[in-house]
Amino acid sequence: MSDTVGPAMAVVMKDLRLAWRDRAGWASAGAFATIAVLVYSFAFDLATGDIRPLLPGVLWTTFLFAGIFAGGQSFARESEEGTFDALLLSPVSPTMVYLGKAAANIIAMLVIEFLQLGLATILFDTNLVSLELLVIVFLGTVGSVSLTTLLSTMSASMRGRAMLLPVMALPLLVPLLIGAVRATGAALNVEVGAAPWTLLLAVAALWSAALSVLLFPIAVER
Amino acid sequence: MTAILEAPILQTEALTKRYGGLDVVRQVAIALPAGSRTALVGANGAGKTTLLAMLSTLVTPTEGDATIVGHSLKARPAALRRAIGVLAHAPMLYEEMTPLENLGFFARLYGVARPEPRIEELLRAVGVWNRRHEATSVLSRGYHQRLALARALLHRPAILLADEPETGLDPEGIELLDELALRAPGLTVLAATHRVDRVETWATGLVRLDHGRVVEDTASVIGTPQGQVQA
Amino acid sequence: MSALTSTLQRLYGFWWIVLPPIVGSAVMAMIIGSIVVAPREIIEGDVQRLLYIHFPSILAAYGAFGVVFLASLVVLWKRDLRWDAVARGAATVGVLFTGLTLATGALWGKPIWGVYWTWDARLTSTLVLFLIYAAYLLARSMADELDEQAARFAAVFAVLGALDIPLVMFSVTWWRTLHPQPIVMRGLERPALPPEMLLVLMIAFLGIGALALWLGILRTEAEWLAKRTATLRAKIDRHEGA
Repeated sequence: MSDTVGPAMAVVMKDLRLAWRDRAGWASAGAFATIAVLVYSFAFDLATGDIRPLLPGVLWTTFLFAGIFAGGQSFARESEEGTFDALLLSPVSPTMVYLGKAAANIIAMLVIEFLQLGLATILFDTNLVSLELLVIVFLGTVGSVSLTTLLSTMSASMRGRAMLLPVMALPLLVPLLIGAVRATGAALNVEVGAAPWTLLLAVAALWSAALSVLLFPIAVER
Repeated sequence: MTAILEAPILQTEALTKRYGGLDVVRQVAIALPAGSRTALVGANGAGKTTLLAMLSTLVTPTEGDATIVGHSLKARPAALRRAIGVLAHAPMLYEEMTPLENLGFFARLYGVARPEPRIEELLRAVGVWNRRHEATSVLSRGYHQRLALARALLHRPAILLADEPETGLDPEGIELLDELALRAPGLTVLAATHRVDRVETWATGLVRLDHGRVVEDTASVIGTPQGQVQA
Repeated sequence: MSALTSTLQRLYGFWWIVLPPIVGSAVMAMIIGSIVVAPREIIEGDVQRLLYIHFPSILAAYGAFGVVFLASLVVLWKRDLRWDAVARGAATVGVLFTGLTLATGALWGKPIWGVYWTWDARLTSTLVLFLIYAAYLLARSMADELDEQAARFAAVFAVLGALDIPLVMFSVTWWRTLHPQPIVMRGLERPALPPEMLLVLMIAFLGIGALALWLGILRTEAEWLAKRTATLRAKIDRHEGA
C-alpha cells in the first residue's frame, strides 16, 4: 500500500514545496481572488441594497476563476522545464502522478479559499466559517480542481492556454457551479428551493474527480 | 576490453512511429548486448530523438515492440522504466529546488534504497556537492547538465538512454560524462550524438539512422529474445 | 485497414453522388412546406413556423455530438487521425445547428414569452452544449492538423463533454424549467400536431438531417485534405517526394 501511495505523497510534498518556493504564482491567485471578492461586493453594493443573496455566486465564480488561473500556471512550469517528462519516465504510474498533483493543487486552493471566506465574513457581515460551508467548499474544490488539473495538463503545450483553460473548464463545471452556489445559499439561509443541492454538488464533484483520474493516463500518452 | 557476445539487453522489433502518415521511425530492429556502448547517429530529423522517446516509454510506438532487460515496452512499461536512465535535451530538474532536493525527490519516485549515501556519492562525483544547498536555477548550464547526469544514474539503471549528452558541457564536464556514463564499466549506453569526432573514444558500436530507417548497424548482435546467441 | 473503415469508405463514395440532390430537394421542400403548406398556427401565429427549423436542428446537433463522441473514442483507441477529422467535422456541424436552435429559439421566444432569452432549463443546457463544443473546436484549432497529441487532448475533452451532458441536463432541470414539453413525441399513435404540420415537420427532419450529414461530410473531407496536405509538405521537406 505504502509502496503505491508513497510516490504520490512524494509528488504532493514536492508540489507543495514548489508552491511555497514559487509563492508569487499562488499569491497572485490569492490576490486575484481577494480583488475579485472586493470588486464584486463593491459593484453589487452600488447596484442593489441587499447583496447577501448574491454572496454564493460571488464566492464560487471567484473560486473557479482563481482555481483555473493557479492550476494552469502551476502546470506550465512543469511542462516548460521538462520535468513532467521526468515524472512520466519514473516507474510511478501516471495515475499516482495525477493524484499527487491534484492533491497539491487542492490543498493550495483550499488555503486561498479559506482566506476568502474569512475576508467575506468581514465584508458581508455573515458568518461563513461553519462546518456545513467548509464541507461545501471542500467538495466544490475537489471537483473543480481535479478537472482543471487534467485540463491544464492537456493544454500546457498549446498556444493561448491562459484563455483556453477557462473556456474549456467552465462549461463542463456548470453542474458543479449550480450545486455549489445553491448549497452555499442554503447554508446561508438564502431562498434556493428544496432540492438536495449538496448531493448534486457531491455527485458533480465525484463525476469530475473520477473521470479525471480515469482519463489522465490516456491524456498523457503520446 | 573485448565485448562478450551474449543475450541482447535491448532489442527492438519492427519499431515504427508514424505521425500523420509520415514514418518518423521505420521498422527499426536493433539488438544491443549488455555492456555495449552504442552511438546513435544521423542527420537532424532522422528519428533519433523519437526512437529514444519510444524506448523510454514516453512515446507509444505505432507498430512493433522493444524489450529492455526482459521487460516489454507494451506489456511492462513500469518495470522497464525502472531499468533505464534518461538524459534528454532538457535537464528535467526543478529550478526552485536545490540539487539535494531534486535528487531526493527522484530517489523517492524510483524507490531508491538508502538514498542519502547514493545522492552524496553522485553529487560529489559530478562536482555539485559544494553547491547542493543552492537553488538549481542559479547554477550554470554546465552544472544543470552534470546534475541531470546524476539524476539519470540515481537509481543505478542497467541502460542509459542519452540524447546529445555532450550539449552544454565544457571539456571537464565531458570528461565526467565519459567517466560516469559513456565509458562507465557495466553500463549499457545508447546515445544519440552529433559529435561524430568523439564517437570512437567511447562507443563500441554504431547505429546510423536515415529518414527513420537503420542504414548502418555495427552494434547489434543476432540473438533471440530468449537470449540464445546464433553468432 | 479495418472492415469498418472500408465499409464507411464505400458508403462515402455513394453518398457523394446521392446526397447533394437529396439535400437540395429536401431543404427546398422544407422551405416551401413550412411557408406555404403548413397552416398558420392559431395561437402563436406565423412565428410558430420556426418550429420546422428549430426542432430538427437540435436533433441534428445531438446526432452530430454523438458522432463526435464515438469518433473521439476511436481516436483515443486507434490513434487514427482520420477519426480526428470526422470528430472535427461533426463538431462543426453540431455547433452550427446548436447555434441555429438557439437563434430560432430566441426569435420565437420574444413574441411568445416576451423575452429573447431566459435561463430556462432547456435553453441553458443547449447553451452549455454550444459552449462545450465551441471550446472543443477552439482547442483543436490551437494546434496543427498533424499534432497527434493535440488530437488526443481534444478527444479526451470531447469524451468529458459528452459524459457531462446528462449531468448538465439533470442539474439545470432541478434548477428551473419553463420550456414546453415536446408536442410531437407525446404519443406516437395520436400526435398533438395537425397532420399537415406533422408532414412538413417530417420533411424538415429529412431536410435538416440530410443537410447536417452533407455539411459534416464536407467538413470532414476538408479537414482530412488539410491533414494530407500537411503530410505531403512534411514528406517534401524530407526529400521523399509525394
